[in-house]
Amino acid sequence: MDTGPLEIKRFASPLGECYTTLRLETGKFPSLSERNMTDWRKSLATNGERPPGRPLPRGVIDRFWGEAAGLRHLERVLRNLYASWGYTEYVPPTFEYAENLSTGAGAPLQEQMYRFFDRDGRMLALRPDMTIPTARLVGSKLFDQPFPQRFFYTGPVFRYNEPLAGMQREFYQAGVELIGVQGPEADGEILALAVESLHAMGLRDFRIVLGEMSFFRGLLQGLNLPPEGTRSLRSALDRKSEPELTALVQKWNLPQQAREAILQLPYLHGSQGILAAASRIVLNATMERALEHLQAIERIVDAYGVKSYITLDLAEVRGMEYYTGITFEGFAPGLGFALLSGGRYDNLVGEFGPPQPAVGFAITLDRALRAREAQGVEPPQWTPQIVVGGHITESTVKHVQDLRNRGKMVAWHYTANTPEDLWAYAQQGNIPLAVWCGPEVWIWHQGVKQHIPPNRDWTQEIEVLSDQ
Amino acid sequence: MSETTFIRIALAKGRLEKDARALLHAAGLMPAHAPNNERALILPGAEPQLDFLLAKPADVPVYVEHGVADLGIVGLDVLREGNYDVYEPVLLPFGHCRLSVAVPRDRVDAYHSLRLNPNPRVATKYPNLALQYFHARGVSPEIIPLSGSVELGPLVGLSDVIVDLVQTGRTLQENGLIEVRVIMHSQAVLIANRASYRLKEERIQNIIEKIKGAKVEISPED
Repeated sequence: MDTGPLEIKRFASPLGECYTTLRLETGKFPSLSERNMTDWRKSLATNGERPPGRPLPRGVIDRFWGEAAGLRHLERVLRNLYASWGYTEYVPPTFEYAENLSTGAGAPLQEQMYRFFDRDGRMLALRPDMTIPTARLVGSKLFDQPFPQRFFYTGPVFRYNEPLAGMQREFYQAGVELIGVQGPEADGEILALAVESLHAMGLRDFRIVLGEMSFFRGLLQGLNLPPEGTRSLRSALDRKSEPELTALVQKWNLPQQAREAILQLPYLHGSQGILAAASRIVLNATMERALEHLQAIERIVDAYGVKSYITLDLAEVRGMEYYTGITFEGFAPGLGFALLSGGRYDNLVGEFGPPQPAVGFAITLDRALRAREAQGVEPPQWTPQIVVGGHITESTVKHVQDLRNRGKMVAWHYTANTPEDLWAYAQQGNIPLAVWCGPEVWIWHQGVKQHIPPNRDWTQEIEVLSDQ
Repeated sequence: MSETTFIRIALAKGRLEKDARALLHAAGLMPAHAPNNERALILPGAEPQLDFLLAKPADVPVYVEHGVADLGIVGLDVLREGNYDVYEPVLLPFGHCRLSVAVPRDRVDAYHSLRLNPNPRVATKYPNLALQYFHARGVSPEIIPLSGSVELGPLVGLSDVIVDLVQTGRTLQENGLIEVRVIMHSQAVLIANRASYRLKEERIQNIIEKIKGAKVEISPED
């Protein structure tokens, strides 16, 4: 096919790459009638000819094919789960006044917010998480409605951070918030629901690591450190650096009991006997209450049958700055990073209205997809199951509609001129079944051709094959 | 379960490698005659389900943070230069050195107070640590990142000062440089991936105990 005069151009992209591109002298791509897709595939293979890449800003990606289907599959599964636990959906705005979102967000989260101005010069921001909008909703609008209130959400959030392990600057979360209840029952429910979420997403192996901020806060009260001392202690604990803790303890010249408490902290993690060990380093009533609370939670998650997934770690003091009680993270093999995180935030709703205790968690769905892949979980079907081509007659249309009504995913292929064209399309598109409707009907099933005798209803055959 | 948990430990090639191998051997984790061949990137361990990954120092925390290695041995200098979210349960008794600011011997007076130099040119392999150090002192340096032979910087007129690792100070001396400030003290550290630390808790604790208990003679500083 003659495509007219062509010239080769090199384009420098912002990424520093160069693309060799063929364009007509007019500077436009050939029109639809001049070239078709197959030509482009051929010229890419032979001349390296391709359209210029259109780079995306750092931190956003195109989610398509299996990635998009996987994401939506997880959202569907979780939506059903949360609905069955009595949670109702909240769809927060994508952006709102930066001031609202900054309320209650700690400094790190504030720094990560995408901010911009509206036409009136007011500062807006993209939501950096879903918890703050939920707290605003409940605090400022639903404050006089009956409590407890339960919300779940799914959707993208935006943080200006370095893309890491599948977490882009725009990344997808699903999560829940339980508002208006304090106490171990609410914490236990949220932990059990976290475990159920990971199960529902198909993960077989994972661990929830549970900490309690008030235990650490009690310890700080007992130590009476200067502000920079608290910072160094936190930083050493975040890195589980025993040598640094030892150095700090020596520097501060603390009483024996406090010294013991700090040095024991990094050992207070695991599944067995942690609370008993922790009770030996209790310095005050705050720490005492924190342990009693954890004990009560332990009984509740045991009743839910999920205790074996939960590991305690009393030295875990990271996470969002708005957390006040339990904090937890979810880890799965094959993923070096947490894919779920949550905790209790009793002071956040009060920033927007009458105070209400609250607890919740969020899952980073992009990371959950990676963990599923690492654990060999079968991805959901995202291509059509069946493609139909050939001569479209009234009866073929009926047959195809029949199949669709029976829940099959069926697509037409209008431009295949021969059965071979159709098989090639099916093969390249990972479509397991293809049907050629000509004077004769042929079924292609994963590379094997089969002739269907006239007068036989080929949809029966298709039904059988597609269920295999 | 602990018998079957697979553990991979990333080791920094180069400066720390010899002592790290000696320590791991003393801990019973690495065979006495582990292959010492430049091309071998993965070495077998002395226990089943354990192996070692040899990597460039700066890559060790990356492997560990992403969880492709569960543990790693690397210098604190390299670890602090990046911003890695890993655990650091054990400091190891080797690889001691310091990250220092050094200036040409004949210009020491000019650097009596770093503050008074409005825009010193700083050649370094540690751009982040150097920048942090100068910024904290109100100095606005021009950082010139290099990947080796930093001490050449002042000699050839590329930079006014350098920020580099100092072990004995001999290299500095030979190049007419003098150490004027210490930015940080460094030594080898055992790091752990946060997820592995939970998911493979038992085996990792076991390895940490073995490493802590290992008695090893460390090669003298050269």
